Amino acid sequence: MKLRINGELREICAAWRDEPLLFVLREHLGLVGTKFGCGVGICGACTVIIDGIAQRSCITATEDVTASEIRTIEGLADNNGNLHPVQQAWLDEAVPQCGYCQAGQIMAAAALLATNPQPSDQDIDDAMSDNLCRCGTYQRIRKAIKRASEAAT
Amino acid sequence: MKRRTFLKGGLAAGLVVALPACSLIPVTPKRPQPTAEAAMGWVSCADGQYQLILPRIEIGQNIATAIKQIACEELGIEWDELSLDFHSTATIDQVKSTVGSESIKDFAVPLAQACATLRDAIAAGRSTGEIGLVERPLSDLRIFAAAPRYIGRRPPLEQGQDIVRGQSLYAADIRRENMIYGRVLRAPVSPELPSQPVRWDMDAARAVPGFVDIVDDPSLKQAQSKGLGILAKTPSTLDRIADALNVQWDIDGTFEQHDIDNAVDIERRLNSGRLANTIQSDSIEDDSRWDVDLRFDIPLGAHGPIEPRAAVAEFDQSGALTVWAGVQDVFFVRDTIARALSLDSRDVDVKSRRVGGAFGGKTMCTVELEAALLARAAGHPVKVQWTRAQEYRQGFHRPPSSHRIRATLKEDRLDSWWHGFASSHILFSNAVLPEWMQQITDFIGDPGVARGADMPYRAKNRRTEFDLVRIPVFTGPWRGLGAGPNMLAIESAIDECAIKTNADPVAFRRSHIEDPRLADVLNSVAEISNWQGAKPTEDTPTYQGRGVACGIYKETSYAAVVADVSISRDGNIQVTHLWCAHDCGHIINPDQVRAQCEGNLVWGLGMVLSDQLPVENARVAAETFADAPIPRLEDVSPMTIELISNRLPPTGAGETAIVAASGAIANAVRNATGVRPTRFPIDPKELVRSQA
Ligand code: FES
Ligand code: FES
Repeated sequence: MKLRINGELREICAAWRDEPLLFVLREHLGLVGTKFGCGVGICGACTVIIDGIAQRSCITATEDVTASEIRTIEGLADNNGNLHPVQQAWLDEAVPQCGYCQAGQIMAAAALLATNPQPSDQDIDDAMSDNLCRCGTYQRIRKAIKRASEAAT
Repeated sequence: MKRRTFLKGGLAAGLVVALPACSLIPVTPKRPQPTAEAAMGWVSCADGQYQLILPRIEIGQNIATAIKQIACEELGIEWDELSLDFHSTATIDQVKSTVGSESIKDFAVPLAQACATLRDAIAAGRSTGEIGLVERPLSDLRIFAAAPRYIGRRPPLEQGQDIVRGQSLYAADIRRENMIYGRVLRAPVSPELPSQPVRWDMDAARAVPGFVDIVDDPSLKQAQSKGLGILAKTPSTLDRIADALNVQWDIDGTFEQHDIDNAVDIERRLNSGRLANTIQSDSIEDDSRWDVDLRFDIPLGAHGPIEPRAAVAEFDQSGALTVWAGVQDVFFVRDTIARALSLDSRDVDVKSRRVGGAFGGKTMCTVELEAALLARAAGHPVKVQWTRAQEYRQGFHRPPSSHRIRATLKEDRLDSWWHGFASSHILFSNAVLPEWMQQITDFIGDPGVARGADMPYRAKNRRTEFDLVRIPVFTGPWRGLGAGPNMLAIESAIDECAIKTNADPVAFRRSHIEDPRLADVLNSVAEISNWQGAKPTEDTPTYQGRGVACGIYKETSYAAVVADVSISRDGNIQVTHLWCAHDCGHIINPDQVRAQCEGNLVWGLGMVLSDQLPVENARVAAETFADAPIPRLEDVSPMTIELISNRLPPTGAGETAIVAASGAIANAVRNATGVRPTRFPIDPKELVRSQA
């Protein structure tokens, strides 16, 4: 079994094929940026982009995504290591507190901007309200998305 | 290995007093006050590269950034010349746990003194060897200078790049060769009830692909809960093994929600005699005719960090143990593990990792001990990360509290104030102390429960007292400790006093405030919110209102908040704007103080609108965020923050604004609807009912 992750084909050993995508990424492949928060699809800490859509990797069966293009936080910067506009905006607005939710937030925001480069306030609320942040960085998340959106235009 | 570099001080081998392993006295956290002498062990310089070992845990306040600002300022060096490492129990002498918003208040000056000593030694041509501390007057420290280079600025967040790039930072991100995964299964009840596994289906478990072993070790005990360890080659195999094992449990005792409610019910406590602990001690006549007489109830609440606690434990060939931990005190974890495994504490190294949200909840040793015991049994490195359900069931929580506040008013002024309340423990938590020890500590009271209860307004007589009650669910420190709930009750009652006297709530407070710094933040928030009195407006289909509250945290930090709310006819509350004025003395990093204010405002919103943990069948019944919701992006309004800047000693910002945020929102709801919220979180249906 192979998965296409961040543009690379990765071999998945037999022992890991029954694991949800989240654990394959984190534990088998060492892509630990994607986080375990709840394991049942509620918090969004495990958000990755699958075929352009933000998805919860904790409830994604690995065998269901063998034909997909998977993007994780580690693959968001370009090949030269230059940050994606969303990552840069996150630093410019100093969004992270504990930081644990932020990979999921960034991936959800990147997916939003890819399909909707100039989201309205309501679009942002709709796209981001299922990504929880206990530290309460929401105001900065809103600002960072606006900033990234402006940077891209 | 302790570092042996150019500058080294305060690293004398400490005396270790070992308690016998069978001791009944639990390991308790030690709290050495940081000194400049100790700080000499945190900084060093070798070949032009400076190094700082962070003497705090990074739990999300971005304290690493602020501490680095202090060091760079005092050393007079470029930002990139200093590399910062998180501490482990082997790299620095014991430091106290990262709690109570103390990291700037208590660590800034000692660190600055050590850095200034190092700077001068280098300027004098020293380049090797150890140097002794030369303390100087505070006014000679550069962190207090008129034109600082880093203080008051906004350098890049330490680890910011790693966070946005998804690099390995947290305990659960650690991967070791041959590492396997562990979990300790426990009876589905509170660990306060005696429970143990009696039967399990070993054959079925063995048949699960990826099964490694079962660990039946009496040390796998949390309080009264004896667990059964399981080991697997992959994380979700643990779920399959747990299902296959189908463990039968022996459980002694039960309780329900009403048992918890009754235990802290303030009326019951009052009916059974005087409350045991006194905070403000004026005598108040019981037959006073009260102008305001209110009862407030605030339930159990979860910390709800997005990171469930995790640890990785690994033994080397010599039998020494390394643990990677995401806790607020790695030394406490080391001492607990050393005791439980009968190891010399010098053979246990606990490495601190960035913590994915703590809020007071990651102060005990749980998953780290589980990982260590499982690693010893397995002969492999073991990773343990609690499930979300374990977080609720086995962690400790904000205690439930029940308050009665009565006040008399004379000539539009507060005359007497009497506040009685009951709560379960915070600092002397039942998660750590057995009942017999709590009976001893109850003589001292519990300063965590008392925090914030000393009413800051002038009155002729003030009496504040409380009872401590052990409940069968674990409770302990939660952001701000008692200050959040206590001040929510106080600020609600004061607001009602203002309403009773037909006074403007800001003016009423202002005329009763004793501390000028509290008056300053109140005036400041009134100004930025363009306060013109709290005038409700009713514009179909919503009620709109405005509320204010203010408070002092730990006698050192000040906050005032104004909230605007909009409430639908069916009782749904939307906070539409929050303003906050904040004074924590001399500010190291204004942007991150603002960030803490924002976080605290969101927590205040959670206190009023969502925080609670249901209890059922002898346990916390919540298993996912759906059962214990936390504020979401769409719940959070725009926020405007004003920082009071002054040259007073720096204090803390991590838990200050919470003392005013919940009160302001509750008062805005009162203003909008005419209904005084008294049970939290506010139930929209109850709000509509009360209004009818
Ligand atoms: S871990 Fe996947 S949604 Fe929470
Ligand atoms: S930054 Fe801590 S949970 Fe979002």
